[in-house]
Amino acid sequence: MKFQSQSVAMPYFIAAIGLFVGQILFGLIMGLQYVMGDFLFPEIPFNVARMVHTNLLIVWVLFGFMGASYYLIPEESQTELFSPKLAIAMFWIFLVAGALTIVGYLAVPYATLAELTGNKLLPTMGREFLEQPTITKIGIVIVALAFIFNVGMTVLKGRKTAISMVLMIGLVGLAVLFLFSFYNPHNIVLDKMFWWWVVHLWVEGVWELILGAILAFVLIKITGVDREVIEKWLYMIVAMALITGILGMGHHYFWIGTPEYWQLIGSVFSALEPIPFFMMTLFAFNMINQRRREHPNKAAALWAMGCGVMAFLGAGVWGFLHTLSPVNYYTHGSQVTAAHGHMAFYGAYAMVVMCMISYSMPLMRGRIANSRQAQVVEMWGFWLMTVSMVFITLFLTGAGILQVWLQRFSDAPQSFMAVQDQIAIFYWLRELAGVFFLIGLGVYIWSFFVEGEEVTVDNTAAPAAA
Amino acid sequence: MSQQLLSSSTSDGNSIDIAAQDDEVTEAAPINTESNTIAYAPKGRLPGDLAMWFFILAELTAFALLFSIYAVVRAKNPEMFAEGQAGLDIRAGLANTLALLSSSFFVACAVASVEAGRKGRACIELIAAISMGAFYVVVKLTEYSHSISLGYDITTNAFYQFYYLLTAFHFLHVVLGMLILIYITLRVHKGAYSDGNIQGMESGACYWHMVDLLWLVLFPLVYVLH
Amino acid sequence: MSETFTKTMARNIFFGGSLFFILVLLGLTFHTTKALPERDNRQNLTDQVAQGKLLWEENNCLGCHTLMGEGAYFAPELANVYDRFGKNTAAIKAFIKSRPANGIPGRRSMPQFNFSDEELDALAEFLKYVSEINDADWPPNIQG
Repeated sequence: MKFQSQSVAMPYFIAAIGLFVGQILFGLIMGLQYVMGDFLFPEIPFNVARMVHTNLLIVWVLFGFMGASYYLIPEESQTELFSPKLAIAMFWIFLVAGALTIVGYLAVPYATLAELTGNKLLPTMGREFLEQPTITKIGIVIVALAFIFNVGMTVLKGRKTAISMVLMIGLVGLAVLFLFSFYNPHNIVLDKMFWWWVVHLWVEGVWELILGAILAFVLIKITGVDREVIEKWLYMIVAMALITGILGMGHHYFWIGTPEYWQLIGSVFSALEPIPFFMMTLFAFNMINQRRREHPNKAAALWAMGCGVMAFLGAGVWGFLHTLSPVNYYTHGSQVTAAHGHMAFYGAYAMVVMCMISYSMPLMRGRIANSRQAQVVEMWGFWLMTVSMVFITLFLTGAGILQVWLQRFSDAPQSFMAVQDQIAIFYWLRELAGVFFLIGLGVYIWSFFVEGEEVTVDNTAAPAAA
Repeated sequence: MSQQLLSSSTSDGNSIDIAAQDDEVTEAAPINTESNTIAYAPKGRLPGDLAMWFFILAELTAFALLFSIYAVVRAKNPEMFAEGQAGLDIRAGLANTLALLSSSFFVACAVASVEAGRKGRACIELIAAISMGAFYVVVKLTEYSHSISLGYDITTNAFYQFYYLLTAFHFLHVVLGMLILIYITLRVHKGAYSDGNIQGMESGACYWHMVDLLWLVLFPLVYVLH
Repeated sequence: MSETFTKTMARNIFFGGSLFFILVLLGLTFHTTKALPERDNRQNLTDQVAQGKLLWEENNCLGCHTLMGEGAYFAPELANVYDRFGKNTAAIKAFIKSRPANGIPGRRSMPQFNFSDEELDALAEFLKYVSEINDADWPPNIQG
């Protein structure tokens, strides 16, 4: 760690991991409700568990992005953070607001929460992933503005690099696009159309910029490859992400009442969306192969490569599988979508945050890397979670294909619930894989507490380098 | 061996020479001492920047997908497409083909002129190329207004959906290409390529040739083939 | 083969390419909003439908259901429920009303929301309005 203020990232990362645990626990509840319909009913109905599951995901990934930015920006800018106090204040505001929202979801019926928070004044609630009360949304905007102000001022007063530029564009885009969550017209088609400006342009647009910047930063640090090389690849990757991803939004405009030319545009451009993820995989592997130093943090390198591969599989391959409109006509809104969502989010965004945590957490704890023993445990966590996620995805894909066949494609289509009963075995297997994921997460967390011989500085680097 | 043009990033408004001061690099193996040399051999060299070629490949892939889908839909609705084609003015398409071909030719001439150090001539050739592009724009807009006045729009049928989407998407590439050519012209006028490093100009020229090439596929596909 | 790959060019393509596609998206969005009135059934978008949409949101219906394929995959698609229930709003209302407060042992069940008659009317009208949107013939069949 080169600057004292980088350590404000620590609470952000701890909170992120804590919320991650909550996300997985509620995921398991939902998974069980898929096969035991009355589980925790009516105390925690499925929709509440799902809200908690998805909202915790968004919040912990945002915590991760913010922590990553607070760590990365001072080092890139070669200056202390503009205001560490503001960063800590925002941390507590965001955490308390997030916790209160989750408690609100669990403590009272959603309609009561809507009434208590005055949703009728400016109705924004009750749309997928944007279930937060309007007042929470306003809080998110305030936290985001303060955060961007803080890191932005740091960039302005220090060195400006391609990595910090791409990251800032991603963060500003994230904040600006979130404003579309306040647009909720009575017309459901317009509502859905601009809802995607938040959701799609986040995860298949500006978040990829943030992902690319974090990955590039970690790769520079652990491989010692020339910054010039890494940064030009970063620009190419994010260029491809936006060139394909912006019009790729058309794949959400197939069946929601928008004109039919979107089927053509959406199919073509989203078919190209795997390109940036493929480049990201090549990028991570190439840079690590061309490394000029043997950084002792092997776990961080594993996360970086894993992130590339899993993002390509989850977002790229599983996205492509059902993105062409003639295919999507049958798979839209089925378990195939769920399969893609799980692996894409884990591979791209969960893993990049854990990659950054893996690289920076040891440094914030005063060592270049964790002990060998701790890294071995961390890698066990990596493999358990990643392999479990592959199985979750495969089982959901199996469920999805069968669902599409029985409910939509066969000559005698069956009703939704009849089909759900028949594919229950896949849900059971998914739940089992989910349990293994939770174990993997536990192992991962345990790795933070594993002691061991201290790893000393890079002793294999070329002596001439000094 | 990395071959960056660190010293040549003159167009780079807020360029920061990062590699030179990066603390991380110095810790590692010695910085590539050749990275400040302009690395290209006169023969067997890829014209333009590799980054531009990535972009061109992505664009070509997008168009290739569009063309393939067009072919599939056309094969399913031969009558509709034949009827739609009959409504297009093949002379306008032909005129535009000639305009883009000659424009591409002028751009190639301009690159040669710059290489030969003939700045003034290159500017004239580039302006000729841009004028041909402008001619295309005018013809295409006239065609659109004619079609729309006859009541054909993007929702009329599958043929017109493809016609408008394909040609408009290409049209926007022509506009972008013209902006790039205008930028290059200004740079040539300022003498930016006089140091023998014409990668930037070649990259722009490659983009323009791509736009031309796409039209050479689009024109027969949409206007001619029956 | 010798080639050049510069950061400047990569950056120009990032900014130029992104700007180009943002402008294309804005153009298409503009066109789409102009074309929507013919598809989105706005002539039937009454105050009652708007109230139904608010109820739909404030009870987090798509935390379980999908609407035009978007939402959760735990319960049936509802953009065509009006058609599935024989174009009968009374049947929709009866179904919502009949849900047991403590669920059905061992099975998924919709919660009992205790809607008033006015609210039920609004919800049913909302679902009817959604079913009449031209969504390119999705879903493939009545089962959703």
